[in-house]
Amino acid sequence: MPDLRVLVVDDQEPFRRAMRAVVDETEGFVVVGSAGSGEESLAMATELLPDLVLMDVNLPGIDGIEATRRLRAGAQPPVVILLSTYDEDQFDLAGCGAASYIAKAVFGPDRLSEAWAGACP
Amino acid sequence: MRVVFADDNFLVREGVAGLLTETTDIELVETVADPDALLAAVGVHRPDAVLTDIRMPPTFTTEGIDAAKRIRAEFPATGVVVLSQYVEEDYAFELLCDGVEGLGYLLKERVTQVDDLVRALYDVSRGGSALDPKVVEGLLARKSTESTSALLGLTERELEVLQEVATGRSNAATATTLFMSERAVEKHVGAVFQKLGLVHESDVNRRVMAVLAYLDATGGARTR
Repeated sequence: MPDLRVLVVDDQEPFRRAMRAVVDETEGFVVVGSAGSGEESLAMATELLPDLVLMDVNLPGIDGIEATRRLRAGAQPPVVILLSTYDEDQFDLAGCGAASYIAKAVFGPDRLSEAWAGACP
Repeated sequence: MRVVFADDNFLVREGVAGLLTETTDIELVETVADPDALLAAVGVHRPDAVLTDIRMPPTFTTEGIDAAKRIRAEFPATGVVVLSQYVEEDYAFELLCDGVEGLGYLLKERVTQVDDLVRALYDVSRGGSALDPKVVEGLLARKSTESTSALLGLTERELEVLQEVATGRSNAATATTLFMSERAVEKHVGAVFQKLGLVHESDVNRRVMAVLAYLDATGGARTR
Protein backbone atom coordinates (compact mmCIF):
# COMPACT_ATOMS: atom_id res chain seq x y z
CA MET A 1 0.00 0.00 0.00
CA PRO A 2 1.50 3.39 -0.97
CA ASP A 3 2.26 5.96 1.69
CA LEU A 4 -0.43 8.47 2.55
CA ARG A 5 0.45 11.84 1.05
CA VAL A 6 0.47 14.71 3.54
CA LEU A 7 0.44 18.48 3.12
CA VAL A 8 1.58 20.43 6.22
CA VAL A 9 0.36 23.99 6.78
CA ASP A 10 1.81 26.39 9.35
CA ASP A 11 2.89 30.01 9.09
CA GLN A 12 5.96 29.43 11.26
CA GLU A 13 8.74 27.63 9.49
CA PRO A 14 10.17 25.88 12.60
CA PHE A 15 6.77 24.29 13.22
CA ARG A 16 6.45 23.26 9.56
CA ARG A 17 9.86 21.64 9.84
CA ALA A 18 8.91 19.87 13.09
CA MET A 19 5.56 18.69 11.66
CA ARG A 20 7.39 17.29 8.66
CA ALA A 21 9.75 15.43 10.99
CA VAL A 22 6.82 13.93 12.91
CA VAL A 23 5.19 12.76 9.68
CA ASP A 24 8.48 11.30 8.49
CA GLU A 25 8.65 9.32 11.73
CA THR A 26 5.14 7.95 11.22
CA GLU A 27 4.99 4.72 9.27
CA GLY A 28 2.84 4.89 6.18
CA PHE A 29 2.86 8.68 5.80
CA VAL A 30 4.97 10.92 3.58
CA VAL A 31 5.06 14.72 3.30
CA VAL A 32 4.49 15.93 -0.25
CA GLY A 33 4.42 19.66 0.44
CA SER A 34 4.30 22.42 3.02
CA ALA A 35 2.43 25.73 2.94
CA GLY A 36 2.81 28.88 5.03
CA SER A 37 -0.73 30.26 4.70
CA GLY A 38 -4.31 29.18 4.16
CA GLU A 39 -4.32 30.57 0.64
CA GLU A 40 -1.14 28.74 -0.23
CA SER A 41 -2.56 25.51 1.18
CA LEU A 42 -5.55 25.75 -1.17
CA ALA A 43 -3.32 26.21 -4.20
CA MET A 44 -0.98 23.41 -3.19
CA ALA A 45 -3.82 21.02 -2.40
CA THR A 46 -5.23 21.57 -5.91
CA GLU A 47 -1.85 20.79 -7.39
CA LEU A 48 -0.70 17.95 -5.11
CA LEU A 49 -4.01 16.23 -4.26
CA PRO A 50 -2.84 15.13 -0.78
CA ASP A 51 -4.69 12.45 1.19
CA LEU A 52 -4.26 14.39 4.42
CA VAL A 53 -3.72 18.04 5.35
CA LEU A 54 -2.25 18.93 8.75
CA MET A 55 -3.56 22.47 9.20
CA ASP A 56 -2.54 25.04 11.83
CA VAL A 57 -5.60 27.02 12.98
CA ASN A 58 -4.05 30.46 13.41
CA LEU A 59 -2.82 31.61 10.05
CA PRO A 60 -2.43 35.00 8.41
CA GLY A 61 -5.08 35.76 5.79
CA ILE A 62 -7.78 33.10 5.83
CA ASP A 63 -7.35 31.05 8.96
CA GLY A 64 -7.05 27.29 9.15
CA ILE A 65 -10.75 26.82 9.85
CA GLU A 66 -11.82 28.70 6.73
CA ALA A 67 -9.12 27.00 4.67
CA THR A 68 -10.44 23.65 5.89
CA ARG A 69 -13.98 24.60 4.93
CA ARG A 70 -12.84 25.45 1.40
CA LEU A 71 -10.70 22.34 1.06
CA ARG A 72 -13.55 20.12 2.19
CA ALA A 73 -15.94 21.75 -0.28
CA GLY A 74 -13.81 20.53 -3.22
CA ALA A 75 -14.57 17.60 -5.48
CA GLN A 76 -11.94 15.27 -3.98
CA PRO A 77 -11.48 16.68 -0.49
CA PRO A 78 -8.53 15.55 1.60
CA VAL A 79 -8.90 14.59 5.22
CA VAL A 80 -7.99 17.63 7.34
CA ILE A 81 -6.63 17.49 10.89
CA LEU A 82 -6.42 20.81 12.68
CA LEU A 83 -3.53 21.66 15.01
CA SER A 84 -2.88 24.54 17.38
CA THR A 85 -1.11 25.55 20.55
CA TYR A 86 -4.50 26.88 21.74
CA ASP A 87 -7.21 24.82 23.41
CA GLU A 88 -9.86 23.42 21.12
CA ASP A 89 -12.62 25.16 23.06
CA GLN A 90 -11.28 28.53 21.95
CA PHE A 91 -12.39 27.84 18.39
CA ASP A 92 -15.70 27.29 16.68
CA LEU A 93 -14.90 24.26 14.57
CA ALA A 94 -18.50 23.26 13.90
CA GLY A 95 -19.22 22.52 10.29
CA CYS A 96 -15.72 23.21 8.97
CA GLY A 97 -15.26 19.58 7.96
CA ALA A 98 -12.09 18.83 9.93
CA ALA A 99 -11.76 15.19 10.92
CA SER A 100 -10.26 16.05 14.28
CA TYR A 101 -8.34 18.57 16.34
CA ILE A 102 -5.02 17.84 18.03
CA ALA A 103 -3.21 20.20 20.40
CA LYS A 104 0.35 20.70 19.23
CA ALA A 105 1.52 19.86 22.76
CA VAL A 106 0.44 16.24 22.31
CA PHE A 107 0.96 15.80 18.59
CA GLY A 108 3.23 12.94 17.58
CA PRO A 109 3.31 9.80 15.41
CA ASP A 110 0.87 7.90 17.65
CA ARG A 111 -1.70 10.68 17.66
CA LEU A 112 -1.35 11.13 13.92
CA SER A 113 -1.96 7.43 13.28
CA GLU A 114 -4.91 7.39 15.68
CA ALA A 115 -6.45 10.47 14.10
CA TRP A 116 -6.12 9.00 10.62
CA ALA A 117 -7.63 5.71 11.76
CA GLY A 118 -10.52 7.61 13.31
CA ALA A 119 -11.10 9.60 10.15
CA CYS A 120 -10.83 6.63 7.78
CA PRO A 121 -11.92 3.49 9.72
CA MET B 1 20.40 36.00 26.97
CA ARG B 2 21.30 32.33 27.35
CA VAL B 3 18.31 29.99 27.58
CA VAL B 4 17.70 26.29 28.27
CA PHE B 5 14.36 24.89 27.06
CA ALA B 6 12.63 21.70 28.22
CA ASP B 7 9.57 20.02 26.70
CA ASP B 8 8.90 16.33 26.21
CA ASN B 9 6.82 16.82 23.06
CA PHE B 10 8.90 16.77 19.90
CA LEU B 11 6.75 19.18 17.89
CA VAL B 12 6.68 21.87 20.59
CA ARG B 13 10.32 21.34 21.47
CA GLU B 14 11.56 21.65 17.92
CA GLY B 15 9.10 24.36 16.93
CA VAL B 16 9.77 26.64 19.87
CA ALA B 17 13.50 25.93 19.73
CA GLY B 18 13.45 27.06 16.11
CA LEU B 19 11.57 30.24 16.95
CA LEU B 20 13.97 31.07 19.81
CA THR B 21 17.00 30.36 17.65
CA GLU B 22 15.72 32.87 15.11
CA THR B 23 15.50 35.54 17.83
CA THR B 24 18.51 37.84 17.75
CA ASP B 25 18.97 38.34 21.47
CA ILE B 26 18.48 34.70 22.50
CA GLU B 27 21.15 32.04 22.60
CA LEU B 28 19.46 28.68 23.05
CA VAL B 29 22.26 26.76 24.74
CA GLU B 30 20.47 23.42 25.17
CA THR B 31 17.10 21.82 24.49
CA VAL B 32 16.04 18.83 26.59
CA ALA B 33 13.06 16.50 26.98
CA ASP B 34 12.82 15.64 30.69
CA PRO B 35 13.40 17.20 34.11
CA ASP B 36 16.58 15.31 34.93
CA ALA B 37 18.19 16.51 31.71
CA LEU B 38 16.92 20.01 32.46
CA LEU B 39 18.56 20.14 35.88
CA ALA B 40 21.78 18.75 34.42
CA ALA B 41 21.75 21.33 31.62
CA VAL B 42 21.19 24.18 34.05
CA GLY B 43 24.08 22.96 36.17
CA VAL B 44 26.37 22.90 33.16
CA HIS B 45 25.31 26.07 31.36
CA ARG B 46 24.10 28.31 34.23
CA PRO B 47 21.69 30.01 31.80
CA ASP B 48 20.05 33.40 32.33
CA ALA B 49 16.63 31.85 31.88
CA VAL B 50 14.89 28.49 31.59
CA LEU B 51 11.70 27.78 29.68
CA THR B 52 10.08 24.53 30.75
CA ASP B 53 6.92 22.53 30.23
CA ILE B 54 5.12 21.58 33.45
CA ARG B 55 3.96 18.07 32.61
CA MET B 56 6.92 15.93 31.70
CA PRO B 57 8.07 12.35 32.33
CA PRO B 58 7.90 10.33 34.44
CA THR B 59 4.50 11.24 35.95
CA PHE B 60 3.39 14.05 33.62
CA THR B 61 2.10 16.08 36.56
CA THR B 62 4.24 18.76 38.23
CA GLU B 63 7.76 17.93 37.06
CA GLY B 64 8.26 21.41 35.59
CA ILE B 65 7.07 23.13 38.77
CA ASP B 66 9.36 20.99 40.90
CA ALA B 67 12.29 21.66 38.58
CA ALA B 68 11.58 25.40 38.58
CA LYS B 69 11.67 25.54 42.37
CA ARG B 70 14.88 23.55 42.52
CA ILE B 71 16.51 25.73 39.91
CA ARG B 72 15.54 28.91 41.73
CA ALA B 73 16.87 27.48 44.99
CA GLU B 74 20.14 26.17 43.59
CA PHE B 75 20.79 28.69 40.82
CA PRO B 76 19.22 31.97 41.95
CA ALA B 77 20.68 33.87 38.99
CA THR B 78 18.56 31.78 36.62
CA GLY B 79 14.96 32.82 36.02
CA VAL B 80 12.34 30.23 35.07
CA VAL B 81 9.21 30.47 32.95
CA VAL B 82 6.92 27.43 33.11
CA LEU B 83 4.51 26.56 30.31
CA SER B 84 1.07 25.05 30.82
CA GLN B 85 -1.53 23.94 28.31
CA TYR B 86 -4.37 25.16 30.54
CA VAL B 87 -4.93 27.71 33.29
CA GLU B 88 -4.26 25.56 36.34
CA GLU B 89 -4.51 27.76 39.39
CA ASP B 90 -3.23 25.06 41.74
CA TYR B 91 -0.02 24.84 39.73
CA ALA B 92 0.36 28.61 39.77
CA PHE B 93 -0.08 28.61 43.56
CA GLU B 94 2.42 25.83 43.89
CA LEU B 95 4.95 27.67 41.78
CA LEU B 96 4.58 31.08 43.38
CA CYS B 97 3.73 30.35 47.01
CA ASP B 98 7.32 30.80 48.22
CA GLY B 99 8.00 33.95 46.23
CA VAL B 100 7.54 35.31 42.75
CA GLU B 101 11.00 36.62 42.00
CA GLY B 102 12.50 35.18 38.86
CA LEU B 103 9.44 33.09 38.05
CA GLY B 104 6.90 33.14 35.26
CA TYR B 105 3.83 31.12 34.26
CA LEU B 106 2.65 31.26 30.66
CA LEU B 107 0.10 29.33 28.67
CA LYS B 108 1.49 27.29 25.80
CA GLU B 109 -0.58 29.29 23.37
CA ARG B 110 1.93 32.12 23.96
CA VAL B 111 4.87 30.17 22.60
CA THR B 112 4.10 31.13 19.03
CA GLN B 113 3.94 34.80 20.02
CA VAL B 114 7.68 35.13 20.22
CA ASP B 115 7.76 38.71 21.46
CA ASP B 116 5.64 37.84 24.51
CA LEU B 117 7.75 34.78 25.19
CA VAL B 118 11.04 36.65 24.94
CA ARG B 119 9.74 39.46 27.14
CA ALA B 120 8.79 36.93 29.81
CA LEU B 121 12.22 35.31 29.64
CA TYR B 122 13.88 38.69 30.01
CA ASP B 123 11.66 39.61 32.93
CA VAL B 124 12.47 36.47 34.92
CA SER B 125 16.16 36.62 34.04
CA ARG B 126 16.26 40.01 35.74
CA GLY B 127 14.54 38.75 38.87
CA GLY B 128 11.11 39.94 37.82
CA SER B 129 7.96 37.95 37.20
CA ALA B 130 5.76 37.14 34.24
CA LEU B 131 2.24 35.84 34.67
CA ASP B 132 -0.04 35.05 31.77
CA PRO B 133 -3.05 37.38 31.83
CA LYS B 134 -5.37 34.36 31.67
CA VAL B 135 -3.69 32.85 34.71
CA VAL B 136 -4.20 36.05 36.68
CA GLU B 137 -7.82 36.15 35.56
CA GLY B 138 -8.26 32.57 36.70
CA LEU B 139 -6.67 33.22 40.09
CA LEU B 140 -8.76 36.30 40.71
CA ALA B 141 -11.98 34.77 39.46
CA ARG B 142 -11.62 31.75 41.69
CA LYS B 143 -10.70 33.68 44.77
CA SER B 144 -13.28 36.39 44.28
CA THR B 145 -15.99 33.75 44.60
CA GLU B 146 -14.55 32.67 47.96
CA SER B 147 -13.53 36.02 49.33
CA THR B 148 -15.14 38.22 51.89
CA SER B 149 -12.06 40.30 52.60
CA ALA B 150 -9.28 42.07 50.77
CA LEU B 151 -10.49 42.15 47.20
CA LEU B 152 -13.92 43.34 48.19
CA GLY B 153 -12.21 46.47 49.45
CA LEU B 154 -11.19 47.34 45.92
CA THR B 155 -13.34 49.29 43.55
CA GLU B 156 -14.24 47.75 40.22
CA ARG B 157 -11.77 50.04 38.48
CA GLU B 158 -9.00 49.18 40.96
CA LEU B 159 -9.66 45.51 40.35
CA GLU B 160 -9.33 46.03 36.59
CA VAL B 161 -6.04 47.87 37.12
CA LEU B 162 -4.82 45.13 39.47
CA GLN B 163 -5.51 42.47 36.88
CA GLU B 164 -3.54 44.39 34.28
CA VAL B 165 -0.51 45.30 36.36
CA ALA B 166 -0.30 41.87 37.98
CA THR B 167 0.41 40.37 34.59
CA GLY B 168 3.50 42.53 34.35
CA ARG B 169 2.08 45.33 32.24
CA SER B 170 3.56 48.77 32.76
CA ASN B 171 1.43 51.69 33.86
CA ALA B 172 1.61 53.05 30.33
CA ALA B 173 0.46 49.75 28.82
CA THR B 174 -2.29 49.45 31.41
CA ALA B 175 -3.43 52.97 30.62
CA THR B 176 -3.71 52.10 26.94
CA THR B 177 -5.57 48.86 27.59
CA LEU B 178 -8.09 50.41 29.97
CA PHE B 179 -8.43 53.72 28.08
CA MET B 180 -7.20 55.73 31.06
CA SER B 181 -4.48 58.29 31.56
CA GLU B 182 -1.20 57.01 32.94
CA ARG B 183 -1.64 59.32 35.90
CA ALA B 184 -5.01 57.74 36.67
CA VAL B 185 -3.42 54.29 36.52
CA GLU B 186 -0.72 55.40 38.95
CA LYS B 187 -3.39 56.62 41.31
CA HIS B 188 -5.32 53.35 41.17
CA VAL B 189 -2.15 51.30 41.58
CA GLY B 190 -1.26 53.30 44.67
CA ALA B 191 -4.72 52.71 46.09
CA VAL B 192 -4.52 48.98 45.38
CA PHE B 193 -1.14 48.66 47.08
CA GLN B 194 -2.39 50.60 50.06
CA LYS B 195 -5.55 48.54 50.43
CA LEU B 196 -3.57 45.31 50.14
CA GLY B 197 -0.96 46.40 52.65
CA LEU B 198 1.90 46.69 50.19
CA VAL B 199 2.68 50.34 50.75
CA HIS B 200 6.14 49.74 52.11
CA GLU B 201 7.18 47.07 49.67
CA SER B 202 10.23 48.05 47.67
CA ASP B 203 10.32 44.82 45.72
CA VAL B 204 10.19 45.26 41.96
CA ASN B 205 7.65 42.46 41.95
CA ARG B 206 5.15 44.37 44.03
CA ARG B 207 2.64 44.30 41.21
CA VAL B 208 2.51 40.54 41.17
CA MET B 209 2.69 40.48 44.94
CA ALA B 210 -0.52 42.46 44.96
CA VAL B 211 -2.27 39.41 43.57
CA LEU B 212 -0.50 37.05 45.93
CA ALA B 213 -1.11 39.26 48.94
CA TYR B 214 -4.75 39.10 48.12
CA LEU B 215 -4.61 35.33 47.81
CA ASP B 216 -2.82 35.07 51.15
CA ALA B 217 -5.36 37.34 52.76
CA THR B 218 -8.12 34.98 51.73
CA GLY B 219 -6.29 31.80 52.69
CA GLY B 220 -5.14 31.08 49.17
CA ALA B 221 -1.86 29.42 48.42
CA ARG B 222 -0.90 28.13 51.82
CA THR B 223 -4.19 26.60 52.88
CA ARG B 224 -4.95 24.28 50.04
